[in-house]
Amino acid sequence: MEAPKFERGTSLSIFVSDRREDFSALVFAFAIAFGVLFLV
Amino acid sequence: MVYTVKSPALLIIGIIMMAWGWLNASGNIDGMQSYLQKSAYGDHMKVKEKFDAELRVATEIATAEGKPAPDMKMPKSKFDDAKAKQTQLSYYFGGAFVLIGLLTLVWKPSEGNLDYYMSVVPGIAFILLIAFIVRWGLDPVFANWGKAAQPTLGWDFAKIFNLNYVVLGIVIGIIIVNVLKIPSWAANGVRTARFFLKTGVILLGTLYSAAELAQLGMLSVVMIGIFVLGSVGIVLFMGKRMGSPNSMTAVLSAGMGVCGVSATVAASPVVQAKAEEIAYTIGTILIWGVGCMFIFPTVGHILGMGPVQFGAWAGTGILNSAQVAGAALAFDPHGIETLKVAEIFNITRVLFLPIIVLWLAAWYVKHEVGAEKVNLGQVLVAKFPVFVLGFIAMFALSSAGMFAPAGHYQGKYFSSAEVKEDKLLKGKETRAIDGELTRLRSPDGAAALTKYLQDKNVVLHGHKVTNDEVYKSLSDLVANKKMMTRDDGDRLKSVVKMEGFDAVAKGAIEKAQKAATHDSKSIRAYRDWIAWLFAFGLIGLGMQITGKALKQAGGKPLIIGGVVGTLKAVGSLIVVLLFVKEFI
Repeated sequence: MEAPKFERGTSLSIFVSDRREDFSALVFAFAIAFGVLFLV
Repeated sequence: MVYTVKSPALLIIGIIMMAWGWLNASGNIDGMQSYLQKSAYGDHMKVKEKFDAELRVATEIATAEGKPAPDMKMPKSKFDDAKAKQTQLSYYFGGAFVLIGLLTLVWKPSEGNLDYYMSVVPGIAFILLIAFIVRWGLDPVFANWGKAAQPTLGWDFAKIFNLNYVVLGIVIGIIIVNVLKIPSWAANGVRTARFFLKTGVILLGTLYSAAELAQLGMLSVVMIGIFVLGSVGIVLFMGKRMGSPNSMTAVLSAGMGVCGVSATVAASPVVQAKAEEIAYTIGTILIWGVGCMFIFPTVGHILGMGPVQFGAWAGTGILNSAQVAGAALAFDPHGIETLKVAEIFNITRVLFLPIIVLWLAAWYVKHEVGAEKVNLGQVLVAKFPVFVLGFIAMFALSSAGMFAPAGHYQGKYFSSAEVKEDKLLKGKETRAIDGELTRLRSPDGAAALTKYLQDKNVVLHGHKVTNDEVYKSLSDLVANKKMMTRDDGDRLKSVVKMEGFDAVAKGAIEKAQKAATHDSKSIRAYRDWIAWLFAFGLIGLGMQITGKALKQAGGKPLIIGGVVGTLKAVGSLIVVLLFVKEFI
């Protein structure tokens, strides 16, 4: 059997699961939102 | 396993970016920039002309008075701002990439988190460099070529074929992955594309307000409801008739009905779909979605659709979230309004996922003899896309007025209190409005106004506007020398179009409306962030569209997908053209 190409993450994502990717995007989006709110 | 690939590529990309920043800052490429940013450069020349004239007068006065020449600075133009922004972004990212690039060359990576996350940086830099080239170079070049060829061809080919940064970015991504192959040092970074797309979708919530959704809400829910449930139903029916396996049919119906790839993935455990069935479905959705992404904006332009109509159509008719964003941005690359409407429809569609998953589970269990029972609650909790909840949370905060003034519409908000002293109406203007008020109160004027309001069906908040309301809005405007409420502005916006309305009064009313309408700086910043996140994500998406994935869309799934996709696209186009009106 062929070894998996990515031991970590998936072929379409660096995250191990969609859920992890979703939560990371959530954190990043809120960081941008509040960054703009306080700096612009 | 060690992921970081030793390569000077990141350092080279950083140096290229820094060089671009320096060339911009030094003014060495002003000639080229004046071609690339024609409109901003036109504005710059106007500002310069005005400044030169003011400087000449001031110098003459100073000379006559025996004083030294005044030290005046030319105000910044849009061209200066655009160049400054490019310089800033190039220096920030270029500097960071040079530092990390140097570090990567001397560092001996060992297995661990640091190595894993460092390995994504070159790929991110690679996509970002393409995004810079496409947004700042190819996009304006094609726009200029399109305009230049218009007199000969009779139409703007760049606009009709949507040769803007979104489409060009995806095409370059597809070319790179299929012809040149993604370099090994960039492979890990390309896998961040979906993450940045999701971030963009969540951030899109900051641009919405409850007032906007109230206008679109019911419409999107009803339209999406009909098309989602209809598509799922037709796929299930066709799949059965054509003898496709139940799990294949069910997973395809979720993909075709709800939101493409994520719905396919969410529905797959419920119907026990095999890996090749998921791949077939994703291939079908991708090939259909890519086609739609190119065809929809062209049809939209040919039919002269506005942002609301096109957004509603793309959000309903195109299957995958990323391709909805791609088509919306391709249709309207410089504004974000189409994207916003499309995403409202798209997100509404995603919210149907739990219902569809439940339906499919029931359908599958009924049709598949001896199917193993699965826990629906667990599947939903495990598979529901959390980023959708993030979008809704962001929207709630935005509606409460956290990110922009509450009640803003497309970044613009009404505030009478913020009207500056020099923007108040002058005596001549208020007298002209007062004159119109007297005329409209006369028997003939009142009759003409009543007829106009009836003929044009002027409606505000669901009721017909009356003569008395128009009189009050005009009186308030004269008394306060500024527009006092948004409703006054909305009423008078229609009345000024009456035949015979005094030109000075019309100009004054439009001036008062403009003075009370303000642009939200934060919304402008959010729009910029979202445009970059989507540009990045879509270039990366292009790099994942391989010939192999497209070939997978063969056989029955492609036939079923093609029939249902066409029905959905054409059906939603007809419904949009009949029922969705532009109300901006």
